[in-house]
Amino acid sequence: MTDSKQTLSVMDRARSLVGNQTSLLILVMIVLSIVFTAFSNGTFLSTGVFANILTDWGGYILLAVGQTLVVISGGIDLSVGSTVSLSSVVAGFVMVKVLGLTAELKGVDAWGVLFLAALISIATGLVVGAINAVLINVLKIVPFIATLSTFGAAAGLAIIISGGMPMQGPSDFSLINPVRIPGIDPLVFDTGLFSPMVLIMIIVTIVVGLFLHKARFGLYTYAIGSNAFAARAAGINVKKHTAKIYLVSGALSGLAGFYAYVRLGSGSPSSGTGMELYAIAATVIGGASLMGGIGRMWGTALGTLILFTVQSGLLMTGVATDWKQIIVAILIAAAVAVQTLQKKNGAR
Amino acid sequence: MAGEVIYEVKNVSKRYGSVVALDGASLKLHAGEVLGLVGDNGAGKSTLVKVLSGAHDADGGELFLDGKEVRWHDPRQALDAGIETLYQESGLAPHLTVSQNVFLGREKFVKGLLGKLGFLARKQMEEEAHHDLEAVGIAVPASNRSVSQLSGGQRQAVAIGRAVSWAKKVIILDEPTNHLGARQAGEVLQIVKAAKAKGLGVIFISHTLPHVLEVTDRVVVLRLGKIVKDAPTHLFDGDTLVAMITGTITELPSEKKSQ
Amino acid sequence: MKRSLRTIAAFGVAAALVAGASGCAANKQITIAFVMGAESDPFFQAMKVGAQAEAKAEGVKLIWQGDASHYDVATEVPIVDNVIAQKPDGLVLIPTDPDGLQASSDKAVAAGIAVANVDTHVTDLSKVVTFITGDNTDGGAKAAKAIADKIGYTAGKTYEVVVGLTSATATTNVARLEGFKAAVAASYPGIVIKDVAYSASNPQTASSNVNNWLTKYPNLSGIFAIDGTNASGAAAALQAKGLTGKIALVGYDAYPANVDLIKAGVFTALIAQDPAAEARLAIKTLVDYIKNKKSPAQRDVVIPNVTLDAMTSASDLAKYTYVATK
Ligand SMILES: Nc1ncnc2c1ncn2[C@@H]1O[C@H](COP(=O)(O)OP(=O)(O)OP(=O)(O)O)[C@@H](O)[C@H]1O
Ligand SMILES: [Mg+2]
Repeated sequence: MTDSKQTLSVMDRARSLVGNQTSLLILVMIVLSIVFTAFSNGTFLSTGVFANILTDWGGYILLAVGQTLVVISGGIDLSVGSTVSLSSVVAGFVMVKVLGLTAELKGVDAWGVLFLAALISIATGLVVGAINAVLINVLKIVPFIATLSTFGAAAGLAIIISGGMPMQGPSDFSLINPVRIPGIDPLVFDTGLFSPMVLIMIIVTIVVGLFLHKARFGLYTYAIGSNAFAARAAGINVKKHTAKIYLVSGALSGLAGFYAYVRLGSGSPSSGTGMELYAIAATVIGGASLMGGIGRMWGTALGTLILFTVQSGLLMTGVATDWKQIIVAILIAAAVAVQTLQKKNGAR
Repeated sequence: MAGEVIYEVKNVSKRYGSVVALDGASLKLHAGEVLGLVGDNGAGKSTLVKVLSGAHDADGGELFLDGKEVRWHDPRQALDAGIETLYQESGLAPHLTVSQNVFLGREKFVKGLLGKLGFLARKQMEEEAHHDLEAVGIAVPASNRSVSQLSGGQRQAVAIGRAVSWAKKVIILDEPTNHLGARQAGEVLQIVKAAKAKGLGVIFISHTLPHVLEVTDRVVVLRLGKIVKDAPTHLFDGDTLVAMITGTITELPSEKKSQ
Repeated sequence: MKRSLRTIAAFGVAAALVAGASGCAANKQITIAFVMGAESDPFFQAMKVGAQAEAKAEGVKLIWQGDASHYDVATEVPIVDNVIAQKPDGLVLIPTDPDGLQASSDKAVAAGIAVANVDTHVTDLSKVVTFITGDNTDGGAKAAKAIADKIGYTAGKTYEVVVGLTSATATTNVARLEGFKAAVAASYPGIVIKDVAYSASNPQTASSNVNNWLTKYPNLSGIFAIDGTNASGAAAALQAKGLTGKIALVGYDAYPANVDLIKAGVFTALIAQDPAAEARLAIKTLVDYIKNKKSPAQRDVVIPNVTLDAMTSASDLAKYTYVATK
């Protein structure tokens, strides 16, 4: 019966591949890169493109990171995109209208006030997160509706504060530009992949990832999403922890708002438009389950990377970017299918 | 044999909307005693368990632990007071591992700053969880396996093991022999006896009346949210217990004789 | 889910705006509803300034509505339906999609509401009282000229240019692109439009598109950023890469922030519309029509776009810069 043994081992290999979300996502990344490289006459495969993918990744990753926590806990946060708009606008408003600063303040000189802007953005995000927590915990509104309300309110407030227009203030575009390793000629080999802002986003992602997978914060997040009754019965203060999760998601969205500010050099009321949907998509593609209890930070980071590989890849290959939504939809469907497969395998 | 009263319930009531689940129930649990709580489906046993464990706020009534009045607003308070509960519906988080479930709410942290930030001593907890469950006397699955991958009986074993290994005063077991084969059910009865020998108060709920008759010292019968009988186990036999639960008799033959 | 989500959000915003507008009600007053594309777009903010001023001058009640941030047919249709239910005398409609809003527009006309289109129009204009727009086709041509001037267009040479759009269907985008293409074909055949891409109303996406283009086309000569969102994103991308002034960047819409960037040399030129004037004229025409039941002499009115560049006088810059509502 060597034949059946052979089939079994192939099946096993396939199963273990599917069982390992991370390797599957890396595989998807590699396949996409090869396809885009082939169809773009090689232009896709350049440092510039990957640097840009990372710049996009940096804009969205914190929303996806926050969403991952929320989704693992069994909730959803639709307010993240509007929070980006609002916090970038509030940062701009404070610098321009309160402190009276202008776009003349540039470069290193702007760092002090930009640091302040980062704190203001995070604080703004925390306020949105706190309102979400109150709506969900105190008024007992389901997360979908609660965060839908703050989604609308934050978007509206961003428009009111900014008058609907970008508020241009102090900036340092070098923070969003890839840093090159000195001594290597960029014409020979371009080493400029990561901008300072992207590096900060990576660090924040790693830190939150460690708290999710190694610390009590994450354990409770999984426990609540897995079985909220069991979590409460084990003595976890479910409301308090849920509040923390939405606060973290809000703060991360606020920091993403600061990222948008630095990237555009202005606080724009439309800088977060539509971002929530991509954040949720990245989380699901990364393997999180909207039913709660399942999700990995690695998956989310790769899911986000895949989304923006698709965006840049389509542009580089010259395929109309209308295809982006279709490809994203396919990726989401595939991710859910993989999840179902894993469940079946797990049950065996 | 039985010691002091450790946990007392006075006149507890609880309704869910218009359903009266508990209607002025009172009982006393002594140290070193196994109390059987029986009643038909929907009699209110699990509701009483949740009031005792802090999972539900009662609408009225009082609780006394070691003679002092207590009020639970959260299961945490009851856990901290030494009361462990095995719930009828799953009290485990299926996506967590065995050891994560055993230590849920009572985690061990690594040393130093990281520990203060909440970083967990995973290896240590896995080893201790395995050790604790073994000590309780249950065949335990590997500590790092996800609960969702366990059989119903294995899950029940983990849940019982967790309750027993953490209990300091009282253990409440709501249908602990559910999902268990005959041999494993026998092991659970041994565990109950061991807990009693350690001086804990045990509340044992089961529809398997021979188990109740074998392991308990006293039986409390609930019917439609009311306690209709509270008597030493030796006064019951299988038939009288069934008759009492279903309400065909309201007094034990032995009581009639003694009148 | 996306669709219903936006719809619910739109209702929330709509309800808030209705509540705000009802404060100035009076008896037997003419009511004009104004449904625009996206509240977050400064273009519509500037339009709101004009609409409010004209409504005040005419003594009519203004119901101002539109989605908070999504320029999207899915959110606009329920808003229009909601507005029709309030039975205004007139409706100024900015359709986000020519076909998508046709049914809503017909429904309003059937309900006895006089309908005007501003900026964009529904497919069938026969029942519409007036259609007022900036000359977007001409604006596109002006953009082509501005780019050609900047790069010192010489016949016989080829130049690579890209166009950043918000969506493939918004009629302003389409008209500007058409005007741009027509002018290029007629006067600057050496300019090759290599690519277009969409920002979906997000300036971060617009910036990302420009970044990718800079890698894809190392010899890129010019960028036409077809609206304010794309202008913001492209300006940021060029500034970040230190390409200010090295690539011709022509934007659209006179956001104050972008007008400032003309001086800084980031924008070669901005093509500006006069949204406030469009809104004023639309309301004036509708009020005339409702009071006197007389159609305007000319249904379609085109208000020309202007080119703002380094040569534009400070007073003209100030005149065309969009002002936010108070
Ligand atoms: N969460 C709830 N919401 C509404 N009614 C409930 C709820 N939990 C229990 N009940 C009702 O309260 C009554 C008592 O239920 P309880 O679960 O305490 O019974 P039980 O004695 O444990 O029954 P079983 O032997 O079937 O476990 C029943 O009528 C039940 O329908
Ligand atoms: Mg029960």
